[in-house]
Parts: sequence; C-alpha cells; structure tokens
Amino acid sequence: MSAVVAEGLVKTYRSRKDTVAAVRGVDLRVENGEIFGFLGPNGAGKTTTVRMLTTLLSITAGTAHVAGLDVAREPDAVREKIGVALQEAGLDPRQTGRELLVLQGRLFDLSASDAATKADELLELVELTEAADRRIKSYSGGMKRRLDLASALVHQPEVLFLDEPTTGLDPASRVTVWDEVRRINESGTTVFLTTQYLEEADALCRRLAIIDDGLIVRAGTPAGLKADLQERLGREVTLDDVFLDATGRTRTRIAGEVQEVKA
Amino acid sequence: MTDILVLARRALREGIRTPEAIVPTLFIPLFFLVVNVGQAARIFPGSTTAFLHGQGYGAFQLPSSMLLAASFGSAALFLVEDIVDGYFDKLRATPVNRSALVLGRLIAEGVKALLIASLIVALGIAFGIRIASGVFGFLLLILLTAGWAIVYSGFMQIIALKTRSAAATNSAGLVFFPLLFLTPNFVPRNLLTHPMEIAATFNPVTYVMEGMRSLILQHFHWETIGLGYLVVAVATVFMLALSVRVIRSYD
Repeated sequence: MSAVVAEGLVKTYRSRKDTVAAVRGVDLRVENGEIFGFLGPNGAGKTTTVRMLTTLLSITAGTAHVAGLDVAREPDAVREKIGVALQEAGLDPRQTGRELLVLQGRLFDLSASDAATKADELLELVELTEAADRRIKSYSGGMKRRLDLASALVHQPEVLFLDEPTTGLDPASRVTVWDEVRRINESGTTVFLTTQYLEEADALCRRLAIIDDGLIVRAGTPAGLKADLQERLGREVTLDDVFLDATGRTRTRIAGEVQEVKA
Repeated sequence: MTDILVLARRALREGIRTPEAIVPTLFIPLFFLVVNVGQAARIFPGSTTAFLHGQGYGAFQLPSSMLLAASFGSAALFLVEDIVDGYFDKLRATPVNRSALVLGRLIAEGVKALLIASLIVALGIAFGIRIASGVFGFLLLILLTAGWAIVYSGFMQIIALKTRSAAATNSAGLVFFPLLFLTPNFVPRNLLTHPMEIAATFNPVTYVMEGMRSLILQHFHWETIGLGYLVVAVATVFMLALSVRVIRSYD
C-alpha cells in the first residue's frame, strides 16, 4: 500500500468572471517510508495540492488516498493518520510551547497525562525544553518551525506533510530542521515535503516530483532526473538545471523574478 | 465533548492573556450606563416613575449595558487572527469534530459574559441598584446575558469564517448598535412612539432586554422572563446550526 496516491487531482476556483485552475490533474504516488519532495515555482500548485491531500481543501475532481484512506470520503480518518506543518508555522502566539503541544495531543484523543508526557518528549526532541513555558510570540523563527514540527508529531502520524518547512530560516536552523526530518523518517514516518530549495530536495528526498502550472512536469529520483538531463545536454548538470528545464524557465528569467526579493 | 472543553479552555486562556481586549468590554458599557443615567435620571425620578418600581433610573438602564457588554464578540476577532496566522488550519487538520471548533469559542464567550455581567451587576449594586428577584433572579439575569453573548458571538464568528477579515468582522459587530437603539432602551415599550414601538416589537433584542429588566425591577414575572429565554434559545439554535454549516463547508 502506498502512503499517498493522487489520480487526476484537480482544484479550480470560481470567481464571478472566470474559473481559475490551480491544480490541473496531478498524479502522484508516494511509497511508505520515503521522503518525497514536491517542488515547483511560486504559484505552481504545491500548497494547493498539499491542502487537498490534508483534507483542508475540497477536491474539484480526481481522487486522493492517504494512508490507504479516501481523502474526500473519510476526511476524519485521514486526519488521524497524518501530521501537518503548513507554510508559515501556524501557531497560537498567546500559548506557551508546552500548552500548544498538550492541546494538540488532547485533540488527537490523548488523555491529559499522556498529552503532557508526549509534550515533554517532543519538546526535548526539538530542543525546546528550556523555552517550553514561554509564550510562543517570544520564539524565534527557527524555534517556531521546530515547535510546529513537534506539534505535527504528537500522535505519531503515518504520513507527515511539511509545506516549505525551512522557508525564511537561517542556514543553521535549516540544517536543524533537516536533521529532524531525517530522524522522523527513520522512525518510520513517510514524509511529503514541499520546498522551493533544490538543495533541500537533493539532501533529503529519495524521490521527487516537480509541479508547474498545476501539472507534474518531472518525477523520479534526484540522481535519475539529473542523469536524464545530463544525457540530453551532454554536460554536467545540477538539480537546479533539472528544475529550470522542467519548468521552462531560464536563469535570466528566474533572476528577474527574484530581483525584488533580493533587494 | 472533551474537544469542545479543551478548545474552550484555550479560548479562555487567550482572553485572560489579552486584557486589552476585555477592558473595553467592561468600560464602554459602564460609560454608556453613566452617560444615559446622567442624561435621563432627572426626567424619570424613582419616586414618581411607575415603570421604575421604586428604583432609580440606573436599574432601568442596567440591561442595556449588560447586553452591550455581551455583544462585543471578541471571540470572532480572535478567530480571524487564528485564520490569518494559519493556526485555524492546524486545528482543522486534527480529527476534532468540525462543530467543536466553533462551539469551544462560544462556550468560552459564554463564561466570559457570565463574569463580566456579574461584575457589572456588582458595580450596579455598589451604586444602589437592587436585583428585585434576589439571588436566583441574579443567576437568571447573568445566564440570560451569557446566552445572548453566545448568540451574538455566533453571528460574528459566521462573519469571521465567511470573510476571514478582521475589518469586516469588526464592522459586523457594529450591527448591534441599531439593534440596541431599536428597543425600549430609554422607556418601556408602551411609551415609545408608534413607529418605534413597531420596530421594537419586531426586534428580538427587545424581549431579551425586557426579560433582564423584569428580573432587576420586579419579582419573578415569568411571562416576560420566559419570552427573553425563548428568544435566546431559538436564536442560539439557529446560530449554532448556521455556524456548523459554515464550518463544514469552510475551504
């Protein structure tokens, strides 16, 4: 049984004037126990796909199964099997780290004492024990990311969805999150990771798919994708080159697109 | 039920840790009470005004202030923050019953309203207002206020879920002011002009206010009290049903 299977997944948004297709027919298969990378430029449909797979967004057409369960028909059962850490750590700044984890545990049906024990374990795992009783609003970006990750693990999910978990983090915090992701995966959890950072996908993922304009444009292992392009171009290539080739972008165009961010 | 209580406790904690959101809930209704009494108390002296049942005009005005305090709906603004910050999605990704996400906050809002209403009544008593229906009447009074707080917060939560905008939700809160002023706010219904009397008769807030006023000014006048509770009960059922429907279709 695969951890995630999506077939012909479509999401359209209707406005008064027209219909916009954010995802136009995505087919995906993620095997149990792997770290799967889901890459794409901004607005390609990554987050929309993840939100459909995690029951947060209705599916316009197609089917999705997570942990063997139909996302559209059994959303509650799916939620029991998955952990979710979305883009921009969604945390309540007025709670302490410990309170947030205990609450999360309680919502996954842990008893009060089990939730407290689990919170202690997770705080230690993500090295936040000392800050556990401080309000989250005083946490740094990296601490928030680690807490968000911990909150997705309170019920030992079968599949963990991480939507751009390292966006906005400094290099040291990014490496810490990578280590956590590897550790979580080694304990048997399948990880579905969306990212814009190609080196992140290269470092962590066994397989990956690249989405552009709502469609999967490449899928395979990082090494396999690089080898294919290398054969085609007859020169050494990086995953950056694979990404640019797959999305039809050029380095010049990409540089132009990010100029504002650089400033 | 555990989910609802856990989420209610979190919402209460949120309220306690944001005193700047609670202070206006108490201060503004008390300000209106003082101003309204200051303006009209000499027109309606307690000794000669039959509808005051021997009390001062402050006792007549007290329900307006309590209803105003119960209609701030700060829970909905906290909900918008959760939505904007992404924490609401975090909660939606748990297997918790969808309706618990709405009910938890509403229960917390009810508890907050009980405390704030008790405080307003206590301040009123300190300034000479009596609760004619006694301790049991006091309990019925603050329960009715809490019931209305749940109804109005429910309405504002629906706006919050639909618009996901703090500005829109805040503006929706102002809807209460016309509702409050289209009631027998300053004099009993039979002393209103005819058009105002018609408007007040069709306004559900009128019956809640009259029920509360009856508990303050008279011994138990069950018909008026019952009507107040009936309006709150029907509005609660309607609002909860609508809230649950909105949260289930939230995308």
